[in-house]
Amino acid sequence: MWLPLLGLILGISLGLLTEMQVPEIYESYLSIAVLAALDTLFGGIRAHLQHVYDDKVFVSGFFFNIALAAALAFLGVHLGIDLYLAAIFAFGVRLFQNIAVIRRIMLTKWSERKKQ
Amino acid sequence: MKKTKLLKVPSRGLITISMVSLVLGFILAYSYSISSDDTDENASDVSGFQQQEKYREKLVEQKERNKELTEEIIVKQQKVRDYEQSFVESEESVEELVEEAELLRLLIGDIPSQGKGITVSLEDGAYNPSQENPNDYIVHESHVFKVINELKISGAEAISINGQRLHANSYIRCTGPVIVVDGKTFPAPFTIEAVGDPKVLFASVNLGGGVVDQLTSDNIVVTVGEKDLITMPALRDDDYS
Repeated sequence: MWLPLLGLILGISLGLLTEMQVPEIYESYLSIAVLAALDTLFGGIRAHLQHVYDDKVFVSGFFFNIALAAALAFLGVHLGIDLYLAAIFAFGVRLFQNIAVIRRIMLTKWSERKKQ
Repeated sequence: MKKTKLLKVPSRGLITISMVSLVLGFILAYSYSISSDDTDENASDVSGFQQQEKYREKLVEQKERNKELTEEIIVKQQKVRDYEQSFVESEESVEELVEEAELLRLLIGDIPSQGKGITVSLEDGAYNPSQENPNDYIVHESHVFKVINELKISGAEAISINGQRLHANSYIRCTGPVIVVDGKTFPAPFTIEAVGDPKVLFASVNLGGGVVDQLTSDNIVVTVGEKDLITMPALRDDDYS
């Protein structure tokens, strides 16, 4: 269990130490990337709890979703349409659904344990 | 899939998950640092604005103080003049000196001046398309100088151009179609007012071959008029520049 934690800490420190500056118009990309990453993470946890977890699906989904969200935002900026709102909406809905499913699974597990 | 699962599922899964968490951590921390930078900038904006406001208040304070002090100066000068007047009454010998001091004060614009006088207004000549050079029919500072010098020689007590009173260190500068008098810009037409004996002043500018003739031959519209009352305020510190 220590390896993912180590990765997380390493990532956070890298992110905090980076002195790179992003132009203001591209900052929406970053928020979408954050949302996509969180969505995929919770999706992975849900899949794990439902015993349908698959490495490849998870990893490809993680990177593909981030790339797709960034691409949508890029297209939106160049077309003058707030396309990133679509990505935020989609990811937001999925995030809430995933968390709801996780919560239910946890609740059933907890009540089963209580019965026993 | 099955093979890999049998061989080393935990380590492989762990590695992928650590990769994912590394990327996630990087994105999260990076966006956090960016947003905190933004708030820092906003904070500095606010403090800069406050600083500006502070300086502005200081400036206003200083200006008020200056005004108070100038008023004090005026009062003190009045006192000094009163003393001098009382000297005149007691001693005849200082009378001339006091008169001279009065004249000098008028010259440097220390005290207000009012009385009879004349006004000379200089206007650009009518536009003449056959003359290519516009310099030939607009008023230059040299023309203004001529009038002022003539007025001073004829004993004018105080002179102003378009309401800007001249003092001993005044300067007049030509900047294209306008002239600058002590840092203030004035466009044509120029109205030069002079306090003094109107008869003398009027005669001196209208001498044959004198100022008016010279200016008229330079295509300038000159009008000279007498005035019963011309008032010029004392110059304050802001008027010097």
